[in-house]
Amino acid sequence: MWRSALGRVHRTDLALSLTILALVGAGFYLSTTFEEVSPLFADTIQPEFFPRLLLWTIGILALLLPFEHAFRSKRGDSGLDEDRRVAVQPIAYVTFAAALVLVAAAEWLGTYLTLVAICFALPLLWGERRWIPLTAFAVGFPTAVMVLFTQAFQIYFQPGVFGLSLN
Amino acid sequence: MEPILEGLGLAFSLYNMALVIAGVLIGVLFGALPGLSSPLAIALLLPFTIMLEPVSAICMMAALYCAGTFGGSITAILINAPGAPPAVATAFDGYPMARRGEAGRALGLAAVSSVTGGLLSLVVFIVATPLLAEVAVSFRPPEYFALTVFALSMLASISGRSSLRNLIAGGVGVLISTVGTHLGTGIERFTFGFHELTEGVEFVPVLIGLFAVSEMLVQSQTADMALERIKSVVVKLPSREDIRRVAGTVLRSSGIGTFIGILPAEGSTVAAIIGYNEAKRWSRRKHEFGTGVPEGIAGPEAANNAATGGAMVPTLALGIPGSGTTALILAALIAHGFRPGPYLIQETPEFIYAIFGAMAVGNVAFLVIGLVGAKLFARITLIPRTFLWPMVFGFSVIGAYSLSGSFFDVWVMLVAGAVGFIMRRHGFGAAPLVMGLILGRMLEETLSQSMIMYDNDWLRLLESPIVCGFFAMAVLGLTWPAIAARMAARRSRDPE
Repeated sequence: MWRSALGRVHRTDLALSLTILALVGAGFYLSTTFEEVSPLFADTIQPEFFPRLLLWTIGILALLLPFEHAFRSKRGDSGLDEDRRVAVQPIAYVTFAAALVLVAAAEWLGTYLTLVAICFALPLLWGERRWIPLTAFAVGFPTAVMVLFTQAFQIYFQPGVFGLSLN
Repeated sequence: MEPILEGLGLAFSLYNMALVIAGVLIGVLFGALPGLSSPLAIALLLPFTIMLEPVSAICMMAALYCAGTFGGSITAILINAPGAPPAVATAFDGYPMARRGEAGRALGLAAVSSVTGGLLSLVVFIVATPLLAEVAVSFRPPEYFALTVFALSMLASISGRSSLRNLIAGGVGVLISTVGTHLGTGIERFTFGFHELTEGVEFVPVLIGLFAVSEMLVQSQTADMALERIKSVVVKLPSREDIRRVAGTVLRSSGIGTFIGILPAEGSTVAAIIGYNEAKRWSRRKHEFGTGVPEGIAGPEAANNAATGGAMVPTLALGIPGSGTTALILAALIAHGFRPGPYLIQETPEFIYAIFGAMAVGNVAFLVIGLVGAKLFARITLIPRTFLWPMVFGFSVIGAYSLSGSFFDVWVMLVAGAVGFIMRRHGFGAAPLVMGLILGRMLEETLSQSMIMYDNDWLRLLESPIVCGFFAMAVLGLTWPAIAARMAARRSRDPE
């Protein structure tokens, strides 16, 4: 049974398993860098004990990942590839990159302008070209949200370099 | 008697009623929109509810939880696009019935079955929660440790494609909970020099990232997908004949749903699927299932909403989430400074009566709102995704930021979003990770306390019969998927 399973190792899951094992290794290394514990606490469970126990558990479970597909296929219920059958489309990466840029710019732009930028840039990235609804949305939604949260919930939002805020 | 009156008084105050109705509207709306779900709604709402009174916030979320479960059925029936996972089984017979021109009848059946299931489970909730809390008061750290191990073991059998992946995700969640200062020694762990991490990773930005940002990345790939237009539909209350036909199914599924809900980590989706299967198994017209039979709608609907009341039992009585969504409600309780568990029930008994009242009102409200506004909610699915998801992302940024007025939390949210996206692609669920994250601290604390009690002698854990019982159930929880698969294979080989 093991031999046939080894012959049907799922390549993507093998890569996934190796990635998890590498992360487990990194976590294990980090756990060796924790500060020394005072002798006063020598009898209590040490700070690295529990994370290491978890890392071992995750590591052992990760070792089973490449074989799961084979075992489940045998039972005829392997739907593990359903979500990854189609490659990730570039728009997902572009959207995430845009989100990173917008959040990075948030402290400089201030919360209100960041929201305006989000509501303008993301629909544009996703193919929205109806300019009137897009502009109305990019201005109307952030303004409504900011008025609601600053006035009703008294939340302070950063004004940014332009000093634009509805606080 | 006093706590009952006080709790119901809180639930029925004008302010809380307004919040409950708002929760119902948000729940039905989020449930109806494919991609949006009640966990996502609660994750987004959580930072803003910090400003509310704790009881009001939890009442609003509890009502949203019930309504979100039903909301998903509207689009499942009308356009075969379940708005939320618990509504998947409703589509099996709901959509064929709608295609026959009986969409109004299907929606009416779904609403009435759902409300009946929800209200029946609330009876169990109000009776079982104080009883369970009373038992749990005698629990010491070893019993709590064993209970948490049992709850985590149940991740092996919750919905999702793979028990193995659920367990890994749960383990990662527990590992994330170790970030920050170790309570026993004061040593910092995995903080990477960020002072914001010394008190641990904030739940809320992680939850928003896992549910909202990862979903936005998934949806970005289908932004141009057009949804079917909704035809005009008038919702009809079930006829006497329909009620007679589905009464047994509703009662049976309500029992199943409540029981499944009470089991740690199991939720509405599992309940709905079992509810559907049992409705089919008990029916004399098995072969008609899938063609639009009333029992095929009533079974999953009663079960999935009954699971909401059931899931609140371990959440409030033990501090162990009964489902993915109640894990978020638990996070909300913690964010409000509560330590969920038996002492919460003992010290503030009015709390559970307020939640009971809110969920009862929520159920009745979504019946009315569902019946009157089903068409409107279904039409909301026509909002272009190019506007909907940037809106969700905007709320996510505001929500993560407003928690402590720091952009660090927004970065945490983005990282969690990316991790969630990768995890989903490879079959790892967000709910197990959230469960692990929430239960992690309790697991480590109770283990440390137990070891102090027993002088680091692990075997002494087994002195307690309750601990042994929980460990035995944990072993069963871990092995159950394999046993069930073997049994199913044997049944299919030998149908007689």
